[in-house]
Amino acid sequence: MTGRALVRFELAAAARGRALTVIAVGFAAASVAVALAGLSAGGVVAVQGFARTSVSLLQLIVWTVPMLGLLAGAIAGVDTHDMEFLVALPVSRARLLFARWLAHLMGLGGALLVGLGAAGLLLGALAGSADAARYLALVGVATLLLSATLALGVWIGVSARSRLRAVTMAAVVWLVLVIGVDIVAIALLALLPAGRAGWGLSLLLLANPVDAARALGIGLFQASTIAGPTEAALRRLLGGTGAWVLLAGLMAWTLVPLGLAGRRFGRQDL
Amino acid sequence: MIRVRGLTKSYGWRTVLAPLDLAVDPGQVVALVGPNGAGKSTTLRILAGIIRPSGGSAELGGRDALRDGVAARRHVGYLAQKLGVPPATNLGDLAALVAAARGVPGADALAALDAAGLAGRLDAAVSDLSGGQRQRALLALATLGEVNTLLLDEPSISLDAEGADDVRAAIRAARDRGAAVLFASHYLFDVARLADRIVVLVDGKVTADGSLPELAAAAGVAWSDQVVDPPIERIYRILVRRGRGDGPMQLVRDDAA
Repeated sequence: MTGRALVRFELAAAARGRALTVIAVGFAAASVAVALAGLSAGGVVAVQGFARTSVSLLQLIVWTVPMLGLLAGAIAGVDTHDMEFLVALPVSRARLLFARWLAHLMGLGGALLVGLGAAGLLLGALAGSADAARYLALVGVATLLLSATLALGVWIGVSARSRLRAVTMAAVVWLVLVIGVDIVAIALLALLPAGRAGWGLSLLLLANPVDAARALGIGLFQASTIAGPTEAALRRLLGGTGAWVLLAGLMAWTLVPLGLAGRRFGRQDL
Repeated sequence: MIRVRGLTKSYGWRTVLAPLDLAVDPGQVVALVGPNGAGKSTTLRILAGIIRPSGGSAELGGRDALRDGVAARRHVGYLAQKLGVPPATNLGDLAALVAAARGVPGADALAALDAAGLAGRLDAAVSDLSGGQRQRALLALATLGEVNTLLLDEPSISLDAEGADDVRAAIRAARDRGAAVLFASHYLFDVARLADRIVVLVDGKVTADGSLPELAAAAGVAWSDQVVDPPIERIYRILVRRGRGDGPMQLVRDDAA
């Protein structure tokens, strides 16, 4: 009863304002633009199918979803320091924090689904339903990535003592996840002998939810030509089971930061 | 019932609360007074589960407030000095949450807000309410349900005379229901009118603890029940000065154990 009331309360707070609408419309517009853009270079403006659009959309997802998740999570986390009245209620701090994360996931995830879903409906109507299931799976991967980065953001926010610090840390982590880890992977490839970098690169892939989501997305559409060095290494090492390892890794990226955030929030002075 | 034994709080080398012993019985109102930084809010915030003490123990309604905080807070109402909820929170949503957390019907929360004159503001964000409305709303929600312990940090702050009357009425009503009430205030006339006992804190230490006539005697101030406005400011200044080392500390109860 209290759990549901908490999520409803947090969801109502998260849904206030226009941010979620803007995100939903933004994703819908970007997805449709991506669907149309691929063929426009050849002088033709036409809607591409799910497969081609999804591969293009993947790039948009791995850049924007982590940024959204990290920033929203960091702000949600740091704002817990101003919840004296709520913390004094007979509810555990861990539940308060979990409800906050879940409400943000539902709000932002809903916006993501509306945005990508609207584009999906358009694609289905104009270009046929081939690969629609994979497109849905891509939306699922995007939601998992959102969940993981939101949890990471909440941990950052709970650990920071000011909004500015939380947002700055979230931005730095985003940069590291989106660019930094790839640079490390390329450096590993350059420094280690050809056969010995595989395991290191695969671990690096699991150590980065963004790379894991990218690899899963690429795997869905067999688009190995755009795979990064870490994805290629994992594919070589684990073959088909790699996808399950990545899925488990991505879920762990939600559970571990959320657990750490709950532990920290439970022990800190507000 | 509130029982506090040897409660301390330090931030690094700085001690903000020396070992504090305190007891508030059911149906008793105890006021914490003292200068800024004396440890009044720290005491209340530890009891409300907002900050963790460095040592000591605390019981609320017979339950360990430090080890079993959620259960201990089941019948505790707390009003913070700060807003304590996200500013954009809608008053109706907050009422529904507090009702669910306390296990009372949502209608009770709405009735409490109605009684506080806020029935028409349920859709308003808490940040859009005036200071007085906000305080009335949070006090109404803090006292919702079967509250047997009330912790109030500067409850009359930012209130007009009418709002301060409402706060006093809420404290009296809680006492009449048998609740133990502990409140911190700089409004000494509120303290004189409401408190059965007054605890004077200075630099994290209890300087004096007693009823107003007892404190007056300790301060060497003439006291008469016939005086409409008791000379509490004078008593307070004398006791605070003594607490800072300008005189002997005389009146510290030892009934917390």
